[in-house]
Amino acid sequence: MRAGSEAYIVIGAMLPEITDEEIVRRTLSDKEAFALLIERYESKLLRYLERLGVSVREDREDILQNAFIKAYKNLNGFDPTLAFSSWMYRITHNEAMSSFRSKRSRPQVMLSEEGEMLITELQDEDSDTSALAELRLSREELAKAFENLSSQYRDALVLRFFENRSYTEMSDILEVPVGTVSTLIYRAKRALRSSLPKQFSL
Amino acid sequence: MNTIHHQNQDPLAKRVLGRITDDHVTPRPRWEFLLKNYVFWGLGALAVVCGALAFSATLFEIQNVDWQWYMVTHTDFLSFFLSAAPFLWVSALTLSILVGYWYIRRTAHGYRYPLMMISCGAIILSLSFGGGLHVLGFGEEIEEMLGDHPPFYRPILVEQRSWWVEPEKGLLGGDIENVASGTASLVLRDFSGQSREIDTEDLRDQDLTALTRGETVRIVGAPTTATSSTFHACFVLPWKKENQKNKPSPSDRAATSEQRVGERSEICKNIRSYEKLHASEDGEDE
Repeated sequence: MRAGSEAYIVIGAMLPEITDEEIVRRTLSDKEAFALLIERYESKLLRYLERLGVSVREDREDILQNAFIKAYKNLNGFDPTLAFSSWMYRITHNEAMSSFRSKRSRPQVMLSEEGEMLITELQDEDSDTSALAELRLSREELAKAFENLSSQYRDALVLRFFENRSYTEMSDILEVPVGTVSTLIYRAKRALRSSLPKQFSL
Repeated sequence: MNTIHHQNQDPLAKRVLGRITDDHVTPRPRWEFLLKNYVFWGLGALAVVCGALAFSATLFEIQNVDWQWYMVTHTDFLSFFLSAAPFLWVSALTLSILVGYWYIRRTAHGYRYPLMMISCGAIILSLSFGGGLHVLGFGEEIEEMLGDHPPFYRPILVEQRSWWVEPEKGLLGGDIENVASGTASLVLRDFSGQSREIDTEDLRDQDLTALTRGETVRIVGAPTTATSSTFHACFVLPWKKENQKNKPSPSDRAATSEQRVGERSEICKNIRSYEKLHASEDGEDE
C-alpha cells in the first residue's frame, strides 16, 4: 500500500471523529485520503452487496471497486446535505443493479444472523405472536422467501432490517420519497409473509 | 458463504487508488454537476411554461368554440365534440406536465418530492400561469401561432369557419357585402371569398338585427342545389358570441324594410335544425 494512503488510514484510526465529509474535502486535494473512506466502508458495503444477492466474493469486490472509483469521479457532485454513507450506499446499490442487469443474473440471497429483527417485525398486531415465537424460522427459509421477492422489495427490507437504515437514509439511497419508502416496506413485509412457508404465513 | 479467495489479495484501497492513478481518473469538475442541476430545473420550468401556453390555448378553444350551435353544424354532440375538443392542447398540457415531472425528478433533490407534489405543483403553476395568459388575451395568439404549425391541426377559429362554408348542407358564413333596400336579398362574401346572393324572404326580426349592422354572420338555410345559385336563408346568427344576445335596437328596426314575425316557410321547416333554432329564438324573446 502506498505510504500516503497508509498514513491516512493510521490517522483515521487514531482520530475516528474525522467526519466523512471532512475526508471528502481532503480527498479533493489529495487523492490518498480516499483510502480512509474506502477502509471505513469496505466491509459494510461488501456485506451489503452480499445481502443484495451478489453471491460471489470476486463479484462483490469488483462491484465495490467500481463503486469507489465512480464515487471518486463524482466527488464534486457529493451533496453535503445528505450523509456520505447514504451516497456511497446509493452508488454501490446502483452498481450492483447494473451488474445484475449486465450479467442477466438473479440475486442469490444469503442472509446472516441479523434476520431476527425482520422476523420480529413480521409479527404485526393481528398475528398470533406466541405461535410464531414457538416456530423457528431458519435462515435458509427466510433467504428462500427473500429470493421470491421483487428486487425493490428485497432492497427495502435489506436496508431497513439488515443495514438498519432510517427512512430518510433509505430515501437518499433508493432515490425515492420518504413516503414511498414506508409504502415499500409495508408491501415488502406483506409480500414476504406470503412467501414464507405455510406455518409462518400470518 | 463463498470461500474462494480473490486472486488479488491487495487491500481494496490499494487497488482502487492504483486504478485511479493508472487510469488517470480525476474528479469531474463541480461546475458540471451544478450546470446539470440548473439545466434540469430550467427544462422542468420550461415544460411548465409550455403547459401554461397549452392551457391558455385550451381555455381559448373552450370559450370560443360554438357549443351552443353544435346541433346546427353537426349531426350529434359526439361528432361535434370530436371535431371541436382541444385534444391537441390537452395532450400538450399533459405531455408538458409529464416532461416537467421527469426533469424535476432528476434534479439533485428531485427524488425527495412525491409524485403528487411535483405533479400538482406543475399542474397548478401551468393552470394559473396559463389562465393568466388567457385573461390577458394571449390564448388566441398562442392558438393561432402554435396551432398553425402541426400539419394535422387547424386552429379552432379556422376549423370553425370551415363548418360554415358548406352551402350544400345549408350552412354559410361570411361578411355582408350589400343589403339592397326594398328587396328581399343581400350579397354575402363567404369565408372562402366567394360572393353569394342570399334570399332573405324567410328571415325574421331577430335575424335582421345582425344583417343591418353589416357584421360577419352565419346563415342557416335551405341547401343549395346544382341548379340554384341563390342561398335561401332561414336564420341569421351573429358570428361573434358577445352579440348573440343583443336585441334589435330601434334604429336597427327602422333600417329594415318591414317587421317580420311568425312562422317561416315550408322550405325552412324542412331543415334539420329548424325546431331547435326556432325554440332558441322563442327562448330569447321571452
